[in-house]
Amino acid sequence: MNRALRPASRPSRVARSVGEDAAADLLPLLEFSTIVNSSLDLEFILNTVLRTLMGKLLVARGVLLLRQADNALEVIAAKGVDASILKRTIDVPRIPRVLRMRADLERNAHPLTPFLREHDLHAVIPILSQHQTVGCVLLGDRPNRAGYSAVEKRLVQSVVNLSGSAIEKGVIIAQVRDANRNLDRKIQELNTLFDLGKEFNIGLDMERVVKLISFALMGQVGVKSYAICLKDETSMRLAASRLVDAESVNGLLKELCAVERAARVHDLLRHRTLRFAAANLLQSGIQVVVPMQLQNTTKGLLMVGERMRGGAYTHADLEFLSSLGNLAIIAIENARLFRAELEKQHLEDELKIAREIQQGLLPECLPEIPGFDIAAVNVSSKTVGGDYYDLIRRTPMEYVVAIGDVSGKGSPAALLMSNVQAALRALAPESRTLSETTGRINDLTCANTKGAGKFITFFWGILDVATATLRYVNAGHNPPMLRRADGSIERLEEGGMILGVFPTHQPYAEASVILRPGDLLVLFTDGVSEAMNPRSEELTEERLEEIVRDCGSDDAATVIARIQDAVQQHIEGAPQSDDITLVVLRAVPR
Amino acid sequence: MTDFKVQHRDGEGVSILDLKGYLDAHTAPDLETAFQKLLNDRKFNIVVNCRDLSYISSAGLGVFMAYIEDVRKNKGDIKLTNMSPKVYNVFDLLGFPILYEIYKDEKEAIVKFRNAQKA
Repeated sequence: MNRALRPASRPSRVARSVGEDAAADLLPLLEFSTIVNSSLDLEFILNTVLRTLMGKLLVARGVLLLRQADNALEVIAAKGVDASILKRTIDVPRIPRVLRMRADLERNAHPLTPFLREHDLHAVIPILSQHQTVGCVLLGDRPNRAGYSAVEKRLVQSVVNLSGSAIEKGVIIAQVRDANRNLDRKIQELNTLFDLGKEFNIGLDMERVVKLISFALMGQVGVKSYAICLKDETSMRLAASRLVDAESVNGLLKELCAVERAARVHDLLRHRTLRFAAANLLQSGIQVVVPMQLQNTTKGLLMVGERMRGGAYTHADLEFLSSLGNLAIIAIENARLFRAELEKQHLEDELKIAREIQQGLLPECLPEIPGFDIAAVNVSSKTVGGDYYDLIRRTPMEYVVAIGDVSGKGSPAALLMSNVQAALRALAPESRTLSETTGRINDLTCANTKGAGKFITFFWGILDVATATLRYVNAGHNPPMLRRADGSIERLEEGGMILGVFPTHQPYAEASVILRPGDLLVLFTDGVSEAMNPRSEELTEERLEEIVRDCGSDDAATVIARIQDAVQQHIEGAPQSDDITLVVLRAVPR
Repeated sequence: MTDFKVQHRDGEGVSILDLKGYLDAHTAPDLETAFQKLLNDRKFNIVVNCRDLSYISSAGLGVFMAYIEDVRKNKGDIKLTNMSPKVYNVFDLLGFPILYEIYKDEKEAIVKFRNAQKA
């Protein structure tokens, strides 16, 4: 193509008249014009312009710059100079509107001169399209520093003028092509989000969500290194990462929660409070931090390093990363809620089992005991403690009364209590002393707890109806209250160690009391005496004693009702934290 | 439900994965499993034949990215072949042609591996 215009060689031609010279050059000019104007390929057009001019004038250096959207001049084509000059931009607000030589421009200190000097360029030819300068061609010196003749100057300007509209057209087509490609990329981004959204909707576990995010980061964004961090109840943690130095990034997570929107780490260097974290991130190769937000709260962070294909992260990239993060955090939150719901369900199932075990332990109906008015109640709390009471006929004239409380809650407590009940029911009919039987129950319980830290407070006694005598052992339980008819209160404390901690070495002590008509015996668990109000104040055993003292000649059911009322009054609507169990015996005149 | 299959063939020192159907977020883990198995068996010369691959999403591309470094660290490579224009367009849009060798035909990729082994 550059042969289309032959160099206007021999200086003798310069001497010819202008008209003659123009006519001689007309045909090649026309040919050149046809070639550049029939092409849509900007690169081809620009290279043809440069080659033509350089061939025509025998110059060894040529650079072509075009005005960009941001008004900077960018090097689009270059020949005979280092290729690294391509894409360089310079800030030159005005280009001369006619061909000018470097010497002229230097006199006026034109902003182009440093660039011209740097690359040893001597002529500036404006590219005009619709009377606007859209760029310029810069050319090196002629061979032997021959300078540009007037004719040559005119020829050069003509060539450039002829290509002006072709260049402009090529620029527009290149822009359309770029825009199309950007659009395709945007569509691809949307496809990615759609693809993930579809998958997230299936309701996945968290590990899979995190894996899909990492695939999207690597596939769509093309990152080599990344970190996905998620916040649990207390802190931000790395959920997955591909980092050289995950440890040092881990230490920065708390600070990075303050990042409000997707940001280039480089920009965060200017941030007042985040600049140290940003400097550390850059050292770990992280280039962008993206908060994953749900209702304006940061629930996680995406961090990405350099891309495999290189290039800085653009605003559009940050937007995509934000969309990805926000889409993912919804899926992660759903997975978290789903898991929590499962756990809750599991816990509730377990409590239901515990409640069933516990209710199964309690007597369905109380036996009639001649000479005694009896009542009992067990109100289990939401979490189900390990309370237990029992009333069994041992012989026609003897009844077993028992109350106990297992440490801990839920199924383990209920199961242990069922062991104690089984032991009591099996051993009580045998003709051992209470002390011996209690020792056996303790040993059996120890074998069951196996040092797991569980224990049972237990009170039991045998009531001989004929003599109205209660023989009892108290194994560490809250001492039952015996209100005498005269209003005095005795506590039944005799016994020994709680059950289930150490095998029996020292026999349990036993004691007996006679229940005379009018006497009132109240067995209770700590759910009563430690019932708490919203200010965490307990009811206390002192207060319970007062209530019992006030019960005068009330029947057993009324005593229970009065104690329950007092508890309700005390807790002021606070939730019941432990089981409440009461067994009441009133000796009545026969 | 989308359908995706990955099958493994042995091509004398080169492992060939035949992909078929839709490779998206849902099926990407299947490809991951296939790559993981090759790496576990220390097979690092991998050709991925995309002849019957009808669609690939970014999550699918992510799987290639997840393994390329490990494979190259072990002096191997993942070469892609027989892509339909639609599938190639996605690779191209996301800048993959500069990261991966992509061939029209599986044989070219295998020859490349052979030549590299001879050298």
